[in-house]
Amino acid sequence: MAVSTLTSHDIPQADFKARLSSNRLLGLLKMLGGMGGFGRLYMGANIALAIGALAKTATFLLLQYFVDNVLTQPDFGRILPTIALGFVGLALIEGAFTAWSGRMAAQTAEGIAQRLRNYLYDHIQRLRFSYHDRMRTGELIQRVSSDVDAIRLFFSEQAIGLGRILLLFFINFVALLTIHWQLALVSVICVPLVAIVSVYFCGKLERAYEHFQEQDALVSATLQENLTGIRVVKAFARQDYERRKFDKENWEHFQRGRKLLIMHAFYWPITDVICGAQVVGGFFLAALMVISGELTLGAFLAYLNLIGWMIQPIRQLGRLIVQVSTGMVSYERVSEVIRENREPLTDGKVQATPPARGEIIYRNMNFQYDTGERVLHDINIHAKPGESIALIGGTGSGKTSLVGLLPRFYEYTSGTITLDGVDIKDLPREYLREQIGIVEQEPFLFSRTIRENITYGVKRQVSDEEVIAAAQAAAIHDSIMSFPDDYNTLVGERGVTLSGGQKQRVAIARILLKNPRILILDDSTSSVDMETEAEIRSALASLMENRTTFIIAHRVQSVMHADQILVLKDGRIIQRGRHDELVDEPGIYKQIYDLQARIEDELEKEISGV
Amino acid sequence: MSDIHFEEEDFQGTKVKASTIWRILSQVRPYTWRVLAFILAIGSVSSLESVFTWLSMQIIDRGIVAGDRTALTELVTIYGLLYIVFAVLVFAFIWLAGILGERVRYDMRKKLFDKLQDLSFNYFDRTPVGWIISRVTSDTERISELVTWGLVDTTWGLMNIITATIFMIAINWQLGLIVFLTIPVLIVIASWFQKRIVAEYREARKTNSKITGSYNENIQGVRVSKALGREEPNLREFSLLTDEMYRRSFRAAWLSALFLPVVQIIGSVALGAIVWYGGLQAEVGGMTIGAIQAFVGYVTFMLWPIQDLARVYASMQQSVASAERVFSLMDAQPQITNRANAVDPGSIAGDIVFDHVDFSYEDGKPVLTDMNLRIKAGETIALVGPTGAGKSTIVNLVCRFYEPTGGRILFNGRDYTELTLNAIQSRIGMVLQTPHLFSGTIRENIRYGKLNATDDQIEAAAKLAGAHEFIMTLEKGYEEQVGEGGVLLSVGQKQLLSLARAVLAQPELFIMDEATSSVDTLTEALIQRGMETLMKGRTSFVIAHRLSTIRRADRILVIDAGRITEQGTHQQLLRQRGHYYRLYTQQFRTQREQELETEMQPELAAGD
Repeated sequence: MAVSTLTSHDIPQADFKARLSSNRLLGLLKMLGGMGGFGRLYMGANIALAIGALAKTATFLLLQYFVDNVLTQPDFGRILPTIALGFVGLALIEGAFTAWSGRMAAQTAEGIAQRLRNYLYDHIQRLRFSYHDRMRTGELIQRVSSDVDAIRLFFSEQAIGLGRILLLFFINFVALLTIHWQLALVSVICVPLVAIVSVYFCGKLERAYEHFQEQDALVSATLQENLTGIRVVKAFARQDYERRKFDKENWEHFQRGRKLLIMHAFYWPITDVICGAQVVGGFFLAALMVISGELTLGAFLAYLNLIGWMIQPIRQLGRLIVQVSTGMVSYERVSEVIRENREPLTDGKVQATPPARGEIIYRNMNFQYDTGERVLHDINIHAKPGESIALIGGTGSGKTSLVGLLPRFYEYTSGTITLDGVDIKDLPREYLREQIGIVEQEPFLFSRTIRENITYGVKRQVSDEEVIAAAQAAAIHDSIMSFPDDYNTLVGERGVTLSGGQKQRVAIARILLKNPRILILDDSTSSVDMETEAEIRSALASLMENRTTFIIAHRVQSVMHADQILVLKDGRIIQRGRHDELVDEPGIYKQIYDLQARIEDELEKEISGV
Repeated sequence: MSDIHFEEEDFQGTKVKASTIWRILSQVRPYTWRVLAFILAIGSVSSLESVFTWLSMQIIDRGIVAGDRTALTELVTIYGLLYIVFAVLVFAFIWLAGILGERVRYDMRKKLFDKLQDLSFNYFDRTPVGWIISRVTSDTERISELVTWGLVDTTWGLMNIITATIFMIAINWQLGLIVFLTIPVLIVIASWFQKRIVAEYREARKTNSKITGSYNENIQGVRVSKALGREEPNLREFSLLTDEMYRRSFRAAWLSALFLPVVQIIGSVALGAIVWYGGLQAEVGGMTIGAIQAFVGYVTFMLWPIQDLARVYASMQQSVASAERVFSLMDAQPQITNRANAVDPGSIAGDIVFDHVDFSYEDGKPVLTDMNLRIKAGETIALVGPTGAGKSTIVNLVCRFYEPTGGRILFNGRDYTELTLNAIQSRIGMVLQTPHLFSGTIRENIRYGKLNATDDQIEAAAKLAGAHEFIMTLEKGYEEQVGEGGVLLSVGQKQLLSLARAVLAQPELFIMDEATSSVDTLTEALIQRGMETLMKGRTSFVIAHRLSTIRRADRILVIDAGRITEQGTHQQLLRQRGHYYRLYTQQFRTQREQELETEMQPELAAGD
């Protein structure tokens, strides 16, 4: 996907937040009011549906007319072509409008689903960090995929399906009433019964189906566990045990499937019998009426057809009602996501445009999370442009939070943080993030090509030479050239798996290309071998040149050359200075430094002791 | 992309082969009577539907038009009774076909699972887990649908068309023939539509999985996207996918919406013809009103079976492709099997010898070449070397998860291919780098080492392995659930549990792949103790990452590029100042650093 070339492309969007409603059904319908005039389209779909249904009913009335008024005339052969044309014409109208209705309903449903997908995608990437911290990926995926699909089905099948059943029922019922109102009333006696049975059974079916689905998931989980643990299974020769275990779940699945089936096997014949009794009874009654001259033969034929089109659809009612309720639950789950507030990217009193110089000052700054947990206390830092600031301290000492405030991933609570003399709260987040480059400890790479990963952060066209230069400076070019398709090699499941060190260097190349004034490095090289470590170190050195850099450090080697070293503990800076100042000062820094020396000592002893 | 073999929906261009169809049908052979019964039931249901229409004609002509109340009552009674028969038959076919479907799916899943237990590692190496799961779950589903509901729809459709045609011809043969001739046309149109609808849905599904993948990446990489200000290009790219999704699903929905009306209109032209012709006939007295009504009924309801037949036909290709994949799994042969006359000597203790062993996972890419090695009974061997050097391969060969491609491996002087697989593998205790636990309780997981172990034995094993203490700190102790794949426990705890499992198994050969990730000091010490218990008096192989393990081994093998480059004790190797020396000093620094950092942790993190 050559993406950066895509600039002018109309993205179908709609503001779903503005249309949220606490009433779930109303909320669903309000989605129709989004951009694209779906409300009118959907209304059109229903009107077309009604016209189709009317045409169908008219066919039967025409049949009545034909039998009663045409066939009885001696010279009906003359009128016959007109009647035949009438039938074909009505069928054409019915077909055309039904198809058109389907088309409009599909446009509505798919259009809303598309806008909803786009909206949610964008929404999610613009939500605050605190939201992502607490929301699990799987949960969110579920909402944006299956729940959106349930909403789509609401528009494409359920709402329109309910409309269809009701239209068919009422139009045909009215037609029946005009034929013979007493007969019409007698003929719908079973309708409430069918409706009740249908709703009752479908509720049960739905639960049995869920029960069945749970077991289905369990069968898959058992299988998956067996496959991922196949080494253990084989190492303990437990194949027979595993077979029994799987068979137990598989058999339970069979049993639950059977239960579901019993319900289906009863539901259809039972409603068949009810509908059948109604039809046969009405049939008999109507027939007697014809014989006694109370009803014409044509009316009888019309009755015969109309009643079928009225009663059969009622059997679907229960299923649709159950599905509509799932749609409403999905709506609720999706609205929860939509209700969250986005992080404004462009808001800011000072719309700064020139690149930052990189002077950063933290003054009496405090920070606590939304949860009220206080993480940083009274932080004072003055970083001059181009200086390197190393942060050292244990897990939970606040290093990561401290640098996370700079790009405004989180907002500091009190005090000030300024960039080039301007409070960062007055600067648009977009601007800040353009000025800052971040290399994480275990960087996230996207499943695209290496080249795309390197150019991921730049919005302009990038030449191959630039990409290669960045990769060379990051000491990753040679590794890339050893991959099957060099820069076009896919990263991840479908391509190569990169080691931690390689990922880090790709991330460095990415930032080199982005060329920000300020750097945040999470420096962890302990997982790579010495040669790689040296390479990463030199890559980092070239990256840090002329940039204000914050280094989250884990070892003394990586802080030794920093302009300022800050030792953090419990969210406070407890020591600061340069390496040569701190090594002689009693305190944590000295302890860490001494440890390093101790290791070398121990090693020396062990080797010489051999 | 290169591995097209594992593409999820790789059935384009699959030809429907008769042999495959035959084999699909053979899946239901054990249930032949059931199949015949439901075919009979659905066939009768379908015929009854035609009979009902015919009865209506009789009611109109002989009852109503003739004004004969007795005939009317008689006919309506027959109609009512047949309706009850009809309902019973509906029950029968849903029940019979449904159970058959459940049964066939159950059988196939069972067969596949059984087969999977027999397959060798080489199969799992080249086959992604997700692919196998799809075969066992969705593909078996599709096949069982084909042999049940597919068969139901086909029988219903065919019987409906046949009986309706027979009745029509019986009523008025000229007109009946005209209608009959339109059927092939309708079927062709219907198949044209269904093929396209199925294809569009397939594309939509593919796009949908891309969309889900994209969401997933967007959420997991949200930090990076925010930091790089990628929001707009991200959305632009994503919207290309949703555009595609819109196009595909809209087309599928539009084709579906168009399909029935088109067929209906063609049907109604036939209908118009009937009315015209019928009317003319009625004029001369050839056709009754009831007959006209019956014709209208037959033609109207013939559209449904045609639609069903077309749908079954369109999805047939897909089901056959599913079947082919399922059968390919069923036919997969385990690479490693018991030889004829293989024996279980009752014990595998004794010296282990690698005799000129060559090994490669793929032809032309040797992993081990000409390896010679003698391990004395009870010896502890530490394997060290860079990733991909062949350490795991050696262990896999010892366990006979793979067999040498050249040379022999001898257990106690006997080529191990003369032994049964079970003789070897039931006597091995293994602890993996990332230990695998099964969902269930802690007790169940330890019991995996010896299925008939008593609770006392389990606890004794846990104590020996050093797992007892941490288990007791859990709320429910041994009854605590470990969660799927053991997610609720730390790596160290999982290792302790798998050590306990191995202790319980009382293996003759012990194999350990040490964790690379850091484990807290206390757990680490416990693991060391547990390992020592296990290694005592047992031949052991350890893929070693910990200094203490390496130092304690009886012999260290330095493996590089499939060869043993150095071997000896810790002291001997250090003195050589070779490859081992470099590996060791680097390992020393990293590990000590981690250890000291964890030691420092309370001091760094806690308050003054």
